[in-house]
Amino acid sequence: MRLFLFAIGGTGSRVLKSLLMLSAAGARPLDENGKPLRDLEIVPVIIDPHKANEDLKRTEALLNDYRDIRRRLYGNEPNAEGFFANRIVTLREIMSNTSVTLSDSFIFNLGAVENAKFREFIGYDTMNEANQALTSLLFANYQLENKMNIGFVGSPNIGSVALNEIKDSNEFKAFSNIFRQGDRIFFISSIFGGTGAAGFPIMVKNIRQAANLEGIENRDALSRAPIGGLTVLPYFTLEGSKQDQRIATSDFIVKTQSALYYYKNTLTGDNDSNVNSIYYLGDQVRSKPYLYDPGEHGQRNNAHLIELIGALAPLDFAGMPDSKLSDPDGYPLPTAAYEYALAKDELSINFLSLGRRTRQLIYEPMCKFHLLFLFLTTGFKDIIGQGFTEDAPKIKSDFLASQFYRTLVDHFMEGYAQWLTEMNDNMRSVALFKPGEVDMAHAIEGVDVKKRLLGHYKVDNDVLKAEMNKLSKNNPKYSEHSVEYKLMDLFNQAAHNVFVERYENIN
Amino acid sequence: MKHLVYLGIGIVVTVVFFILSCSDGFNIYEQLFFNQGYNDKMFNLNMYPVIAAITIGLAWGGAAIYYYAINSVKFDRWYHWLAVLGVVAVLTPVVCYIYNDTVFADNGLMYITESIMFELQTVLFAALLFIVASFSMRWWSSNCRHTPIPQ
Repeated sequence: MRLFLFAIGGTGSRVLKSLLMLSAAGARPLDENGKPLRDLEIVPVIIDPHKANEDLKRTEALLNDYRDIRRRLYGNEPNAEGFFANRIVTLREIMSNTSVTLSDSFIFNLGAVENAKFREFIGYDTMNEANQALTSLLFANYQLENKMNIGFVGSPNIGSVALNEIKDSNEFKAFSNIFRQGDRIFFISSIFGGTGAAGFPIMVKNIRQAANLEGIENRDALSRAPIGGLTVLPYFTLEGSKQDQRIATSDFIVKTQSALYYYKNTLTGDNDSNVNSIYYLGDQVRSKPYLYDPGEHGQRNNAHLIELIGALAPLDFAGMPDSKLSDPDGYPLPTAAYEYALAKDELSINFLSLGRRTRQLIYEPMCKFHLLFLFLTTGFKDIIGQGFTEDAPKIKSDFLASQFYRTLVDHFMEGYAQWLTEMNDNMRSVALFKPGEVDMAHAIEGVDVKKRLLGHYKVDNDVLKAEMNKLSKNNPKYSEHSVEYKLMDLFNQAAHNVFVERYENIN
Repeated sequence: MKHLVYLGIGIVVTVVFFILSCSDGFNIYEQLFFNQGYNDKMFNLNMYPVIAAITIGLAWGGAAIYYYAINSVKFDRWYHWLAVLGVVAVLTPVVCYIYNDTVFADNGLMYITESIMFELQTVLFAALLFIVASFSMRWWSSNCRHTPIPQ
């Protein structure tokens, strides 16, 4: 099954980043029996005209790193266990029809939209006087003058016009060619901004009305496709700007209300089956104020708990049984809405604050990934030449200079550390791991290591190395694999053993 | 399989060493140090097999302790192995000397200088047997199987 994941706007990119981190940790969608879903490919498509958006750029870089790392570990195998388990691919990577030209990128090319002012895009100057007057009623002057390469600056009324072009794009055609029955579609967007609030309903409309579009294949499959969406309600605040009021925190609720009414009437009403599953997520506790930036300076918002929780939505949707999404004839069922609640309403969130189901999905994978992060950044280079590194295939010192290692440690792990720090510094503070703590035994917030006869168990690089030595001894499994696979798979198993044996079980 | 062959070779070398140390004709202990009176007494008092057994026991015992009792990631460097070799190489002549001295004393004899000279060669034999034992048994150690030289 392929899950086409449309991440729209800045929030879409940030939630996608959290999903990447969870996927890197090895969190996988579970089916109704609690088993990891097999043959899953996630196809993220970022829709954001604001190419200079820092959040988008950071997510795109991490997506490329993730793809490189995973390819090196598992090749094109969709089923993998352990770190970087979920296969993440671009549209270009999976398309067989070469008649459509497409760049190998996760970003939807909105060339026509990005390069114009809104007034140029709608041909304002060529309108007659009456139409110009009507347009001026619908759009404020700053909206008409908005150059759309900085996004829609919180104006869904611009987005709803501009993003309608998507249906004519190569990306949309490629997507429609690739889409098959059994695949699913998921949207991630915020409802209180411009791009996401407008992009989600337009994309759903275009997919459901695919039968009316020209040059689109698989019309039937698209019009019956199971569609889910994460709609992010207000969760952050902006520093006020006296000179520029294009985006104001005080407007978020009003915009949300209006958009929710619109969604109710067009997407998610009682008998509406345009969207089968909708996940609403927001927080009355607002983030620390973000720098006011309508787009000109790159817009870089810190990672947030809502984005982490939001990343669980596509995983949940992917694992949902077909019977919850389609009727026996294959037609989509009416919308079911989902919400999320913390187990403990606290300002500082650790694993114990999350519900049992969330913990079962992410607790062990995230802890193991954090141990990997500490292991690779604090002790790995010193153990090359000893123990498991000397078993075939040997991990030699030149491995530290390899593209794989540099991508993993210098890029991805750095992004991971930054993501953790940003979430920790935000409000609510996500303190899953103690910032800066390199002692593995005390790194997980709120979770201790088990007691033994004298004191507590130790967890450090030596313990992990000893476990990896044990697992690697006379193990023929790795002789056919790369050193990268050997390192990551051994660590995954070793960390699992150490985790189960030495840390308190909170699940 | 390869590792069992190494173990087999190690056992054979050690048995040959033991046989040569007890031999009346070519005695390995008399090749590096020979003093007619002293070596005759050693042979007549049947001390060579015990000295050889002590050397073998300490060398194989030392290697076994290193690879299976210590067997730690904190002691898996070549210099840790060398340190254990050093301990075995020092301990073996000391124990052998004490044994020699006790047996000679029980028989009213005293060979201090000769015994010291004799025990110097047990340093060499202990070290060699420790190396043989190491390469015979290290393969099954979880943490030190690549010490001192990776496979």
